[in-house]
Amino acid sequence: MYVHKIPNSHGTYETQGVLTTPDTNTIHGGTTGYAPTSAGPVGPNPLLPQRGIITKIITETPDTKTFCITGIDGTKPFSPQPGQLGMLSLPAYGEAMFSVTSQDDTHLHMAIKAVGELTNALHEIEEGQECGIRGPYGNGFPLEFCRGKDLIFIAGGIGLAPVRSLIEYCINHRADFGKLTIVYGARSYADLVFKEDLFENWPKVANKDLYITIDRAEETWDGHVGFVPSYIEELALSPSVAVVCGPPIMIQFTLANLEKMGFCPADVITTMEMRMKCGIGKCGRCNIGSCFVCLDGPVFTQEQLNAMPAEY
Amino acid sequence: MRKIAKTRIDDVLRALAPRYDLYVPVEGATTMRTPTATLWQEGLENASRFRLYEEGLPLYWRTNTGLSPKDLFFPQTEKMYTAISQGKTVEIKEESTNAWPIILFGVRSCDIASIDCMDRVFLQKGYEDTYYKNRRQRTLIFALGCSTHEDTCFCTSMGIDPKASPTADVQISDLGDAFGFTAQSPSGQQILASIDSLMSDAYTAQPVSPDPMLINVNLEGVTEKLETMFDHPLWDELSPRCIGCGTCTFLCPTCYCFDINHKSPTHAHIVKQRSWDSCMFVDYTCMAGGHNPRPSKTERVRNRFLDKLLYNRQRHGRVFCVGCGRCVSKCPVSLEIATVIQKIQAAEVTP
Amino acid sequence: MNENIIQVPDKSGISKIMREIAGDLLRQQTISLVIGWEKGILPNKSAPAFITQSQDAEKLIFDEYCYHNLTKYLLQRKGSGLKTAIFVKGCDSRSLVGLIQDNQIAREDICIIGISCPGLMEERNIVIPAKKCEICYTSVPVEYDFLIDCPETKTANDEPGGSYAHRELPRVENMTLDQRNIYWQKMFENCIRCYACRNTCPVCSCKECCFDQANPTWLGKGNSTSDNGFYHLVRAMHVAGRCVGCGECERVCPMNLPVMLLNNKLSLSIEELFDEPPASLSLDVTATLNHFKPDDPEEFM
Repeated sequence: MYVHKIPNSHGTYETQGVLTTPDTNTIHGGTTGYAPTSAGPVGPNPLLPQRGIITKIITETPDTKTFCITGIDGTKPFSPQPGQLGMLSLPAYGEAMFSVTSQDDTHLHMAIKAVGELTNALHEIEEGQECGIRGPYGNGFPLEFCRGKDLIFIAGGIGLAPVRSLIEYCINHRADFGKLTIVYGARSYADLVFKEDLFENWPKVANKDLYITIDRAEETWDGHVGFVPSYIEELALSPSVAVVCGPPIMIQFTLANLEKMGFCPADVITTMEMRMKCGIGKCGRCNIGSCFVCLDGPVFTQEQLNAMPAEY
Repeated sequence: MRKIAKTRIDDVLRALAPRYDLYVPVEGATTMRTPTATLWQEGLENASRFRLYEEGLPLYWRTNTGLSPKDLFFPQTEKMYTAISQGKTVEIKEESTNAWPIILFGVRSCDIASIDCMDRVFLQKGYEDTYYKNRRQRTLIFALGCSTHEDTCFCTSMGIDPKASPTADVQISDLGDAFGFTAQSPSGQQILASIDSLMSDAYTAQPVSPDPMLINVNLEGVTEKLETMFDHPLWDELSPRCIGCGTCTFLCPTCYCFDINHKSPTHAHIVKQRSWDSCMFVDYTCMAGGHNPRPSKTERVRNRFLDKLLYNRQRHGRVFCVGCGRCVSKCPVSLEIATVIQKIQAAEVTP
Repeated sequence: MNENIIQVPDKSGISKIMREIAGDLLRQQTISLVIGWEKGILPNKSAPAFITQSQDAEKLIFDEYCYHNLTKYLLQRKGSGLKTAIFVKGCDSRSLVGLIQDNQIAREDICIIGISCPGLMEERNIVIPAKKCEICYTSVPVEYDFLIDCPETKTANDEPGGSYAHRELPRVENMTLDQRNIYWQKMFENCIRCYACRNTCPVCSCKECCFDQANPTWLGKGNSTSDNGFYHLVRAMHVAGRCVGCGECERVCPMNLPVMLLNNKLSLSIEELFDEPPASLSLDVTATLNHFKPDDPEEFM
């Protein structure tokens, strides 16, 4: 996979018109390389979705459902790394990029909140509905970097969806990682996603801390009440690798608090969300500076984001 | 070099047209010429552009076309696939591809440089774009050297030679009363050989040189300077003037942004297509939940010029302006790249 | 003699007076922004200028390339409560009246500096008058606080629609139905839907245009003859009765399409049907379709 280097602000540039590092896909010989006589087959079309079936729909919260998608032949459409994205479509409504929340041998799972035309339509469909699916896109979480380390997962609301793919990976490869700490919050108990994991599966995992909070007190809730950013301060987590995802305001305060608590910007990992259309770094709209979130992201470290224009 | 009198250029085109999809620069007003209507032929003005050659089309050789040839590789709206929903099933049908060879005849140096920009975007960096590649790889390019220029041209400031495009398959030179042809690739050689009987030797003919351009901008150091100018007041100063239309981006030969959308003959039957989009439009970056990372003109104007002069240099290795002057000529409010480069050069930055 | 009317000996003196007035206004701090024109990158290019410092008033110019109708920029200041001074030609002043009548801007928030227009020239050919001057119905601004008057003030057309409409409209009207159909189809086919005509139009003042709405989507991003036609026809209907004939839509069209022809036809039809003057010639007279009279003709119903 192509990995785009975050531009070094003091770097130098190649001579105008000359690429110093030829890409594997470069057409050599400039324009002349494209003579009709040498026309070869055009490769598989990365923008063409494959047919998929949504075999199971799980209601997570009043506005979030998890969709389980398999290929038309019953095999998994593709095998993403934790944190990678997939483009899901209902042809009559459109196409949008979602993070793959988890996967099994035959299915991809995507937890999707109803916010727009396509997602509202998705919330109306029944099991057995066919769809279009293409991917995987994006860089995913830096697994090698995380291996052997203690990991702190901090998520708010639907932000647990991308983080969950990494949590699941760590649980499945438990020996490869140190202590797992999960801090998760939502507006209310009803808004907590993946309740089965939160209250049944994850509590059984060895060497972990699981902290769940809701924004406002409820009669039936005997757990912690408060916002995620202040909760992590209360918990006085000792600095290690942190994976953060949630609504922009939560991310903003969480990152500030982590910095105060002594977390190194290179150890704070977050995933970005931008409007996307192609997923393959061509259509232009998901850029932050010269990075395309669909191709070079969506996962960035705080250190990388600090070097990029604050336009997201 | 071999040559043919300008008055006989139709002979060359007639010889090529049966074997290739031949695209030639055509004058504007004539695009509505149809056999049934003669009265009002000149009634509709229009910008000059590349069109499929037909006998009798008024060809436009004087300067560059109003619309760049980018739409031949990257049409403004292009079918991608069809999807038919029936009950719960969805069937996806790919568009069939065409293998017929194309000749792009009479492309100017600036637009050839822009094709290099487009190649970098659509054929490199991780993925090849199938739709672009399908057209691009069966196209031969005949470059046409400029003998004159528009007031708005500034390709020389961008390091481009208006008379020569070494990467084209054939270079056509303006010899005054004749066009000279020089093959620059094996395929170019083959084609020229096939029409050689129409031409005579040009011996020592020299291409006519254009006068010095009226607009001169200094690109040196602009990229490096822009790295420090993201928060510069220049963008607040420039952006009020922008009216947020898509003229600059749609005319720009290196602007490649697109939208993916569909049209639905019926709800069950949709045609997925992609079409040019513009970073100047408000909804371009607006997300489903309503959040917009570039909510005002300041961010959008800044992004466009940083993209042309900084981001693409970082990402694709070259500045994405070729000095064709289309934005200089057509921006309704003269917020064009030549002026902006001058303003960047003049801007004060605190280290 | 009105002290707010400044006579200049000839049109070359206009720029000097503009700078003086703008400089004074900014120095007195009664207004915080002056919108005028400055010189562009080429001799035959001028550009909108936004002046906030009195010393920058020196940039202001007026020449035969100051096509831009600047009045739409006032919408950017809407709701800010800040006072703005704006330079207008005769044609521009009508759209200013329209914006005030539509309650888009408040008369007291703006200082109007009118210029009796000596006429504009085509950018590419300095001997041909600009196309927008062919529909000019008033070269002297209809509303102003200051007026810069010059002896070369152009004589405006004495009929609404001007020579443009009287040349172009009959040509289309005399076509057979088939020919006319092809004519419009060809126009729509050549439109690239850059929205320059809409974005520059001073009477297109909606905060969010229906064509930009995402939910529901009235018009997608795809370019097709039918979608483009839908755009042009709907836009023509939306500005009908309010179009002031400033000609900006056609001037800005990068494809050189006859964009103002439809607007022109509608304006003339409305004037004829209701026997009322063209829109926005005076603050005291509301545009034809903005008021109702019991004896309004109803032939179209």
